[in-house]
Amino acid sequence: MKAIEVTGVHFTYDDGTEALSGIDFHVSEGEFVAVLGSNGSGKTTLINLLVGLLKAQAGQIRICGRAIGELSTDELYQRVGLVFQNPNDQLFAATVEEDVAFGPRNLNLPEAEVQERVTEALAAVSALPLRGRAIHHLSFGEQKRVSLAGVMAMRPSVLILDEPTAGLDPAGEAQMMQLLKKLNREEGLTVILATHSVDMLPLFANRIYVLDHGRVLQEGPAEEIFCHQEMIVRAKLRLPYVSRLMYEMKRHDGVPIDGLPLTIGEARVQLLELIPKELIIAELEEKKA
Amino acid sequence: MFDLFSDIFTYRDNALTRIDPRAKLLIALAALIAVVTAERIVLPLAVFTFCLGAVAILRIPAKLVACRLAAPLSIVAVLVVIQTFVTGKTPLFAFTFAGWQFTAKAEGFHQGTLLGAHVLGAVSVVFLLSIVTPAHRIFQALRWFRISRNWLEIAILMYRYIFVLMDRVADLAAAQKLRLGYTARGRALRSFTTLAGATIIHSLEQAQRTHDAMRLRGYRGVMPFGPLPAVSGRDRRILALCLIAIAAARLLEWGVSG
Repeated sequence: MKAIEVTGVHFTYDDGTEALSGIDFHVSEGEFVAVLGSNGSGKTTLINLLVGLLKAQAGQIRICGRAIGELSTDELYQRVGLVFQNPNDQLFAATVEEDVAFGPRNLNLPEAEVQERVTEALAAVSALPLRGRAIHHLSFGEQKRVSLAGVMAMRPSVLILDEPTAGLDPAGEAQMMQLLKKLNREEGLTVILATHSVDMLPLFANRIYVLDHGRVLQEGPAEEIFCHQEMIVRAKLRLPYVSRLMYEMKRHDGVPIDGLPLTIGEARVQLLELIPKELIIAELEEKKA
Repeated sequence: MFDLFSDIFTYRDNALTRIDPRAKLLIALAALIAVVTAERIVLPLAVFTFCLGAVAILRIPAKLVACRLAAPLSIVAVLVVIQTFVTGKTPLFAFTFAGWQFTAKAEGFHQGTLLGAHVLGAVSVVFLLSIVTPAHRIFQALRWFRISRNWLEIAILMYRYIFVLMDRVADLAAAQKLRLGYTARGRALRSFTTLAGATIIHSLEQAQRTHDAMRLRGYRGVMPFGPLPAVSGRDRRILALCLIAIAAARLLEWGVSG
């Protein structure tokens, strides 16, 4: 079943900026989909349409099989959750516990269930020890995880994240992506990620949509997307660094690389195949001696 | 500036932070009434001394205390000076400055010191309360006392975003400073007004984004408040003892004044 179906959607802002022009976008339940695009490509507009903050001027949006207009706000926000790029936009309560409990309390759930959801959501993002802390005492990475917990407490089936790794250090970035992978693979959440950071996507995303000027330039698995060099350049994006290195080695130095590795693991396997084993063994023996 | 709003001490574990916020609010309210209605300076100054003593025992840094009390102490100084030289008839002393004759009067001095003591006593009560109770607990307690949800909602959001805006303003001010925005008086004034304008715009944008985030989590114009557990027997006894002590002190002072 499709979790999200966007068909022929147009959206133009009041100042005349055409943000989306006839976009088609489909996500199946349990998928991990990335929306890749440069600044101004229409990613944020698409996200705002999916969560009902904006209304499409033409076309149709269906959430879990139902037209978005047919869903009440309560129904919509229990199906689709949005994690904002800047956690400060989203964390408005004084403490972590109060903030995560905000959504469940708005659903008028009994206090015992509210507390259960808070514990569950904080545990899911490894933030249980932060429960009693004041929001303004948290680090940026902690704030990001707590804002994710706040959305998780609504128990949505689709989780949309706007630039979830923006502003995080490399370790925080890896931790956030692993967390999203866990939520997707273990909890079965459908994850939609809007980003312009390409390096980690091949490791996590099942499919990638490339957006440019409000249109879908390409859609497919990472290996298919990143072999279209011209399209990537046109969308003002770049290849993952490891792919770029392999591409340059292939183009300039004639190294016989098969296809284009997208991850360090793939690149390592290919390079090891090219280096004669005797050379590696000789090198090792030399070091030992 | 940042010290003024620092709340890290409210999250420490000590005898005062452990008391139920409702009990602390009631005690603070009773102390405020006693201080404000006092007819002599002894009770307000006793409250001031008690509060400062408690703050010292809790090892609150002197810098923070000075920072928080700087404004009220200035008000007290101004009050005493103005009252002393403007009100009353009985001269205490006189002097001439720049061709002007100034005469201090006894009634004005007494009036000024009493008003000053009221301010010091009241401010120290609020200061102590703010140093031993996290803001969210105060809001919860106020809601329990049936204070309007709308007022509390605004207070909660203001409290939360003060820190966000302060960070942003500090960044903007640093950016202006690094580009010599405060090197001359005129330039500093221009930089400051630009900073004020930018802060207002940032606040409005922040408000819009926060409202969107709240809507996405089911907000329909009413912010939910978490429940408070029943006040424990120990806290009830503390509350009763403190109220009796404050009432006795006030009655004693009344008797002395009368």
